[in-house]
Amino acid sequence: MFEKEVNPDNVKEAEFVVAIPSYNEADSIAYPVQQADKGISAFFGNMKSVIINCDNNSQDGTKEIFLGIKTDTPKIYISTEPGITGKGNNFRNLFQKIVDLKATGVVVVDADLKSITPLWIKNLGDPLFQDFSYVAPLYIRHKYDGTITNSIAYPLTRSLYGRRVRQPIGGDFGFSGQLAQTYLQNNTWTDAVSNFGIDIWMTTIAINENSPICQAFMGRPKIHRAKDPGSDLGPMFRQVLGTIFDLMIKFYPFWSNVKWSKPTSIFGFGLGETETPPPVSVNKDVLLKRFQEGFTLYNQIWEKVLLKAAKTKLQEIGKMDEEQFDFPTNLWVNVLIDFAVAYRDKICTREELLDSLIPIYMGKTLSFVKKTARMSIRESEAFIEEECTQFEAAKNLFVQRWNDKETA
Amino acid sequence: MAKILVVDDEEHIRLLYSEELSEAGYEVITAADGYKLIEKIEEQKPDVVILDIKMIDYNGLDLLQKIRNKFYNLPVILCTAYDTFKEDIKSIAADYYVIKSFDLTELKNKISMALDARVPSS
Repeated sequence: MFEKEVNPDNVKEAEFVVAIPSYNEADSIAYPVQQADKGISAFFGNMKSVIINCDNNSQDGTKEIFLGIKTDTPKIYISTEPGITGKGNNFRNLFQKIVDLKATGVVVVDADLKSITPLWIKNLGDPLFQDFSYVAPLYIRHKYDGTITNSIAYPLTRSLYGRRVRQPIGGDFGFSGQLAQTYLQNNTWTDAVSNFGIDIWMTTIAINENSPICQAFMGRPKIHRAKDPGSDLGPMFRQVLGTIFDLMIKFYPFWSNVKWSKPTSIFGFGLGETETPPPVSVNKDVLLKRFQEGFTLYNQIWEKVLLKAAKTKLQEIGKMDEEQFDFPTNLWVNVLIDFAVAYRDKICTREELLDSLIPIYMGKTLSFVKKTARMSIRESEAFIEEECTQFEAAKNLFVQRWNDKETA
Repeated sequence: MAKILVVDDEEHIRLLYSEELSEAGYEVITAADGYKLIEKIEEQKPDVVILDIKMIDYNGLDLLQKIRNKFYNLPVILCTAYDTFKEDIKSIAADYYVIKSFDLTELKNKISMALDARVPSS
C-alpha cells in the first residue's frame, strides 16, 4: 500500500536531520541507519533529531526494513508518488520536509554505504552548527572509483567556479536548513536534476549562492557499490553532464569572472587515513572498443561540435591500439569546451549530444587508467591535481570560445 | 606592491627568497619559525605566505591549519625539499606547493597565480 509519509513518532520539529535517499535498498539500508543513529546519540544527543528515509516507493521492502530497525532516534519515511523515481525527486521531498521541520542542519548519506561510521555524522554535521552552510565529504576512493568525478565534475567545477571541492557529487554531505529553502525556491530545476544531476546541482548552487562551504574528513574510505567505469553509465552521465552544462549557461556571469581556484576549508583534520579502499576493476578492452565505436556512431555529431584541432587529434588517437593509446589532458579540456558550447547552441538534440560524448569519455578514462596503473592512490590524486591546473590554465580560452560563437 | 611572508628556518633560503622576490617586485618579510606566526600575519598583513613544511621546531602543515582557521582566504604556498608531504592529506589546504629549488621560476609563477586568483569569497 502506498504511503506518502510514515511518521510513527509524530515528529513535527527537529533541529538536526540525517537523511538517507533510496530506491530498492532493502539489502543495504539497515547499516547506514544504525550508524546514523549511533552518530546522533553520541554527538547530537542534546538536539531534537530525526532520521528520514526519502524513498522512490521501493517495492523491495526498503520502507519496512527502515521503519523496523530499532533506533533511539525517531524516524520518518517519505516517498515520491508511485511511478516517480529519481534521486533528485527524493531530495525535493526532503527539502520540503526540512523546511516543515524547521531543521537547522541536515546530513545526507548514501543507502549503500558500507564504511560509514558515527564520526561521519559528526564531521558532516558539526560544521553546519558553526560557520558553514554546505559540507562536502573528503574521503579516499580507489583511483578508478568515481571517474566522472575525477575527469569531469571535479575539474570543471573547480575551474569554472574557483572552489576546490574534491567530491562535488560525493553522495554524502551536509547542508543547512536555510540552504534547503534556497534549493526549493531555485528555478533551475530540470528532469536531469530530478535524477542523478541532483548532487552536482546542489554543490554548484551552494557555490553560486556564496554559501560558506567546507570539506569534512570522513576518516575512512568510501566503500559502496562501486561500478566499473566502462559499464553502462548512460543516464547518470547524461544527467550529471547535462546539469553541469545547464548551470554553465545560467551562471556564466559568475564563472566568466573566476580565475584559478582556491582551496576549500577543511574540517576534521587528524582522523588519519590509513585504510585502503577496495579495488575497482576496469575492463580496458571495453573502454577501447566503446571509444572506437564512437567514430562510427557519432562522427557526424563530432564533425559539428569539435573545432578542427580537436577533431584531427581525436582521429589520430582513434587509430591507436591499447598499448600506444594516450589521450592528452589538453585535448579533453578542449573537447569539453566544444561540447559545452554545442550544448548551449543546441546543434543537435541535447540527449544525442551527451550520448556522443560518452565514447570520448571512455577514451579519456582508458588513458587515465593506463597512466595511473602503477601509481598509488595519493600519486593518482596528484595526477588529477595536475590535470585540474590544465583546466584552470585553459579558462581564458573557455571564456573566449563561449563568447566568440565560433562554430566547428 | 604585494607583500610576501617567507617562513623558513634556513637562513640561506630566507636570504635567497628575499633577494629574488624583491628583484621581482615584491615586498618580502621573513620569519625563521612558526612562533607567533598568527600574530605576525595579523600585524604585517601579507598578501601571500610561503611556508616551509619541515622546520626544526614546527610542522608547516600544522601551521597551515592554524593559518586556514584564522585567515581563510590568505594564499599559502607550501615549499619543501621533500615531496613526501603529499602523503599527508592536510597539504590540500594549501593553495599551491612547490619543491625547493634555486631556480625560483615555479615559485614566482605560483605567487603570481595566487595573487591573480579571482574567486568570490565564502
